[in-house]
Amino acid sequence: MGFDLTPVLPELFLLVAGLVLLVVGVLTREGEAARVVATLSVLALVIGSIIIAASDKSPQLALGGHYVADGFSAFLKILLFVGAALAILLAQGFLHDRRIARFEYSLLVLFSTLGMSMMVSANSFLALYMGLELSALPLYVLAAFDRDNLRSTEAGLKYFVLGALASGMLLYGCSLVYGFAGTLSFDVLADAFGAATAERPPALLPLGAVVGLVFIIAGLAFKLAAVPFHMWTPDVYEGSPTPVTAFLATASKVAAAGLAVRVLMHPFGEWTAQWQQVVVLISIASMLLGAFAAIGQANIKRLMAYSGIGHIGYALVGVAAGSERGVYAVLVYLAIYLVMTLGTFGCILLMRRQGQYVEQISDLAGLSRQRPMAAAALGVFMFSQAGIPPLAGFFGKLLVFLAAVEAGLTWLAVLGVLSSCVAAFYYLRIVKVMYFDEAAEPFDTAVHPAVTGITAITALATLFFIVWPGPLLRAAGAAAAALVR
Amino acid sequence: MSLALVVLLPFIGAILPPLMIRSGRTVCATVTGSVTLSSLVLLLIHAPAVYRGEVPVVAYEWLPSLGLRFSFFADGFGLFFAALILAIGLLIIIYARFYLGRDDPMGRFYCYLLLFQGAMLGIVLSDNVLLLLIFWELTSLSSFLLIGYWRHLPEGRQGARMALAVTGGGGLAMLAGMLLLGQITGSYELTEILGQGELVRASPLYLPALLLILLGAFTKSAQFPFHFWLPHAMAAPTPVSAYLHSATMVKAGIFLLGRLWPVLAGTEAWFLIVGGTGLVTMVIAAWIALFKDDLKALLAFSTVSHLGLVTMLWGFATPFAAVAAVFHILNHATFKCALFMTAGIVDHEVHSRDARRLGGLLHLMPITGTLALVASASMAGLPPLNGFLSKEMMLEAAGHARPPAYPWLVPGLATFGALLSVAYSARYAVHVFLGPVRDDYPQHPHDPPAGMWLPVAVLVALVVLIGLFPAAIAGPIVAGASDAILGGALPDYKLALWHGITPALLMSAVATAGGLVLLALFWPVRAVRDAMPRPEAKRIFDAIVLGAANAARRASYGLHNGQLQRYVMFFVVSVLVLILVGWQTGRLDAGTREPLAAGYLAGIAWLLLLAGCIGIVAYHRQRFLALILTSLVGLIVSLAFLYLSAPDLALTQISVEVVTTILMLLALNFLPKETVAESSVARRLRDGALALGSGAAFAAIVHDVLTRDFTSISAYHLEQSKPGGGGTNVVNVILVDFRGYDTYGEIIVLGIAGLAIFALLDGALRGPAARRLARWAPDQPRAADLHPLIPVVATRVMLPLALMVGVYIFLRGHNLPGGGFISALVVAIALLMQYMASGFGWAEQRIRFDYHVLIGWGVLIAGLTGLGAWLFGLPFLTSGFDYFHFPVVGEVELATAAIFDLGVFLTVVGAVMVALANLSRIARRAEPIPVPQEPMDYTAPVPEPATTAEGR
Repeated sequence: MGFDLTPVLPELFLLVAGLVLLVVGVLTREGEAARVVATLSVLALVIGSIIIAASDKSPQLALGGHYVADGFSAFLKILLFVGAALAILLAQGFLHDRRIARFEYSLLVLFSTLGMSMMVSANSFLALYMGLELSALPLYVLAAFDRDNLRSTEAGLKYFVLGALASGMLLYGCSLVYGFAGTLSFDVLADAFGAATAERPPALLPLGAVVGLVFIIAGLAFKLAAVPFHMWTPDVYEGSPTPVTAFLATASKVAAAGLAVRVLMHPFGEWTAQWQQVVVLISIASMLLGAFAAIGQANIKRLMAYSGIGHIGYALVGVAAGSERGVYAVLVYLAIYLVMTLGTFGCILLMRRQGQYVEQISDLAGLSRQRPMAAAALGVFMFSQAGIPPLAGFFGKLLVFLAAVEAGLTWLAVLGVLSSCVAAFYYLRIVKVMYFDEAAEPFDTAVHPAVTGITAITALATLFFIVWPGPLLRAAGAAAAALVR
Repeated sequence: MSLALVVLLPFIGAILPPLMIRSGRTVCATVTGSVTLSSLVLLLIHAPAVYRGEVPVVAYEWLPSLGLRFSFFADGFGLFFAALILAIGLLIIIYARFYLGRDDPMGRFYCYLLLFQGAMLGIVLSDNVLLLLIFWELTSLSSFLLIGYWRHLPEGRQGARMALAVTGGGGLAMLAGMLLLGQITGSYELTEILGQGELVRASPLYLPALLLILLGAFTKSAQFPFHFWLPHAMAAPTPVSAYLHSATMVKAGIFLLGRLWPVLAGTEAWFLIVGGTGLVTMVIAAWIALFKDDLKALLAFSTVSHLGLVTMLWGFATPFAAVAAVFHILNHATFKCALFMTAGIVDHEVHSRDARRLGGLLHLMPITGTLALVASASMAGLPPLNGFLSKEMMLEAAGHARPPAYPWLVPGLATFGALLSVAYSARYAVHVFLGPVRDDYPQHPHDPPAGMWLPVAVLVALVVLIGLFPAAIAGPIVAGASDAILGGALPDYKLALWHGITPALLMSAVATAGGLVLLALFWPVRAVRDAMPRPEAKRIFDAIVLGAANAARRASYGLHNGQLQRYVMFFVVSVLVLILVGWQTGRLDAGTREPLAAGYLAGIAWLLLLAGCIGIVAYHRQRFLALILTSLVGLIVSLAFLYLSAPDLALTQISVEVVTTILMLLALNFLPKETVAESSVARRLRDGALALGSGAAFAAIVHDVLTRDFTSISAYHLEQSKPGGGGTNVVNVILVDFRGYDTYGEIIVLGIAGLAIFALLDGALRGPAARRLARWAPDQPRAADLHPLIPVVATRVMLPLALMVGVYIFLRGHNLPGGGFISALVVAIALLMQYMASGFGWAEQRIRFDYHVLIGWGVLIAGLTGLGAWLFGLPFLTSGFDYFHFPVVGEVELATAAIFDLGVFLTVVGAVMVALANLSRIARRAEPIPVPQEPMDYTAPVPEPATTAEGR
């Protein structure tokens, strides 16, 4: 067994950085620690991204074949690292204002990101589970980070109980698949189940393996917040501190989606017909629930929860296609989704009145007059999330629907478009409130530069994606090709 | 290239107005106008080629993976529309220069206007349907900006939002339609799609594609039942209304119908849906228009009505009707734009648009009045104006559209529509401009500056000229555009004023006479209409929206009510459903393994296990009982291990059971002894059913797994245990040797857990928690003798024995059931017993030991053992062993693994005892009982009734 750790370098770096920062955090003066550790954590994530970007993209196994570094994982890891770095930056002002600025926040994000990074590089069920748990445990703590706030602690508890249930399901699924295949490795699984050879098409999966796969999908769907495993989302999103919600809504989902794509396409890629049904079911339910349930929401974080559920539904349309085009579409969708969502949460963090963060949609009234740029940015995000061209969100949707149509899932695509029509309604409602309703009280003018900067950059990226889409599309194309060999 | 530039120029030019506004309003308008003009010139350069029958195409690869190409083409139809957009845009720019007030941000207005113009041009010139779609939504967005421009009017906001919601949503529906179309034809280029009409119409996807595309077109063109948004968008400044709602944006829908006419038209579905919608829209909108008092609302609904007319003509799907449609688009653009501008002038001058407050304006503003009269006569369809010509053609076409069942339906309704059209046109003329001069205008009107009426005059001149010389002026344009739609087969038609006495002329005469009569009876008719209840589409739309929002709110809060139990229930149910779905797709082989024979002993154990589980569920609210029953389950499990030949596991299991049960009993002492009942009987029944269901499912799955063979790693370990690890106790060898790394990690975790317990419980000894603890009173009566004699004696006697057993188990661990972990638990139990039997205080005084240090030493020893391997050039945690001969004892094997095991032992003892010591500290704080002082002292029975009050 080779013990070359070069492919694992990004994760090792993050791990060591996290451990060192743990010590740094303890040794630095109380008032300074949060800021210092946050800065260094962001630096670590940036260096991690650079290591990945510079590394060899050809598939490389490590850690006894449990870990694989390829173009697919590199693409997702850079997304994750960027998302995590932005989540740390977004948080500093908020934590400071809420008087919960502790250096552990950045470290928890860092360790969770490490877990996510392992998730997308998992090449066996063992690595999958390890990565998932490593990413999940810090998230439970993060959700309850505002520990003197009842809603935050409740959010953390709910997330933990349901998360434990989901992870139990997933583990059970893994063990079932193992029981029927006798192997945990993704590379060997396909052969164990009788993959297609020159003479015959792939054998039907044994029942136990199908059920195991269903359990795995259920566990991943929980992380994705896909219907019907989404129940935790609105409560947790609403209760968690806003930057944590942003992290939950972006990096966590991206990692789970990446993992889902890898599990379904790599070991089970030949049995599309057998899992497609379940994915389609979850996708439709998510799209519809995301579209309809959001209409009545008054809290913007809750709304984002439903919106995120809907978005995952669209991404799953691409997964259901079960083709390289589908994977490509999902990757592009995730990247755009990450940018849009982080930007939206940046806007939410800009909404303060008399030092208090406000979260009701009605509180947005008059934003356009007092903070025209913030309103414009949020407007861009809303239009983009609604999938209205020429904003970035449109291209993500277009790609997944194209992939579905090509895979013969025409009805799924049509249903997706129709549900996005409904969803457009509530996104536009926010635009309406911002631009046309009268303000009750003035917004605070003092802002945190990091939040403003992130919001501006993401808004510009969303707005001008159409001008320069090449790099993202090329990278996603290469990543998809790396997975579907 | 220049074709792409036609589209791009307005987008690029849109930067200019906000910059130029500093140089003055006229400069700004001039710059904007010149941008439009250069675009127009660039376009017209292509005109000769287009009319020669060529189709200029320009294409760049843009995002091939999305099927998105940056491609444009100009045929007669596209050129016609593009020229219309630019020419009218030019007039609007001039008009707006004079219309907008000094306070209005003109630079922004022109910027949005140019953006909108570019988007419209994009729609009509795009070759790629996805590109078209992008421009389509861009028009929605930029018109949203334009409408929202008039920020101080609340209606404008409402209107802008509704317009955006309706048209934006429609555009998304169209996206689906376009994808289907691309799927059918295999291309997203219009030039290729247009040639494949038959393939498309024969496809099974035709109908859904048609419906989705129509949804987009109808919402954009405000066709029934989506006609409600357009008038509400009219609160925008008049130049916007004139541009968007007469000439361009609303025409995008009918443009698309015309564009896709060769592909989609000709089926029964097309005739029924498109023709029917057009007819209904024409009549209903005309009826609504007649009774609108707001001039812009009147014109808005008249626009909807005329768009309905064009839609109906497309719906007929005959070549003649198509020509009529093209011709009417041209005519409508000229007269309706002129009318909107006159309405704007009236608003500008009089400060009122209410028809009831106007009248007699012809005398005060003769130029505007005359122009308005001519334009409205054209809208009414009076000769010799252009409106008359295309209306005649429409009636002619309607006369030929006779569904067999109701031959009179279409011509009749079309005539009725024309009649209403005459009526509202006449009303616009009569109630606003004719009649006596009033003296109560909000502001005394006079003709505006020439810049405002000149654009109107240009349009009205066209209205008259086309009317008089249709073939000469409009002929080539109409022919070119129709030719592009019909694919070179122009029908037999003549653009002329006089066709002889035709049925169409008669219908026209009836309509005109009837319209004038209707206007004469306007007030009585209106009274009747007002008396009747009538559905209003906007109200219905609002009601639907509100209803949907309420339903959604109810549903989502019903679903997500914040209760964890409900979430868990949904989770479990969903998994069960998904298992059922998965069940149907898998292959079910019968198991291949022989089941083991189960003796009666196994049966009894199984029954006990079952009883234990049922007992836990039944008595879960009584915590002590539940705990004891849980330990029963643990006991059975360890028996099962024993039965299935795994004595080591059994030993581990049972010692863990004992320790945890005792620790939990101690902790429970300070907690409520019963859980409150939180669920109703019905819910418990539901949960019971769910639990049974999941249990059954899991049992089935487990059975399925266990009845088949698979290669496991057990054989390898069994084989390698002795030669590789030097021990025959495979479990122990795995723990300390093969999986030493895992064990090392685990003892660290255990140590951390012990420290965490310490941290948590230590907090209970300070602050508010400590005060609560001091007030704590036992909730159960205490025994009279707190430390009965027999247990005290027994445990003290047993202590050395137990320690001896611990050492024995530790030493034999490598080959026989035992090991560091188990022996640690045995020792821990022995110490626990002292605490339990002789009292916390007594034990604490005698066992003065800092257990934290134990944990630290344990981890350290284990780690150092691992590092020791490095001295021999071996990887971390490699164990070595050898056999030594001792006198008396005989051959003894000594392995470095034993030292590692010592680390495990120390950590486990430390962790357990840290927890115990802290529980004991809490207990002593809560119940300070005097510590017995004598060597073999125990608390003597205290006479009743002073029992419970003792010590406090």
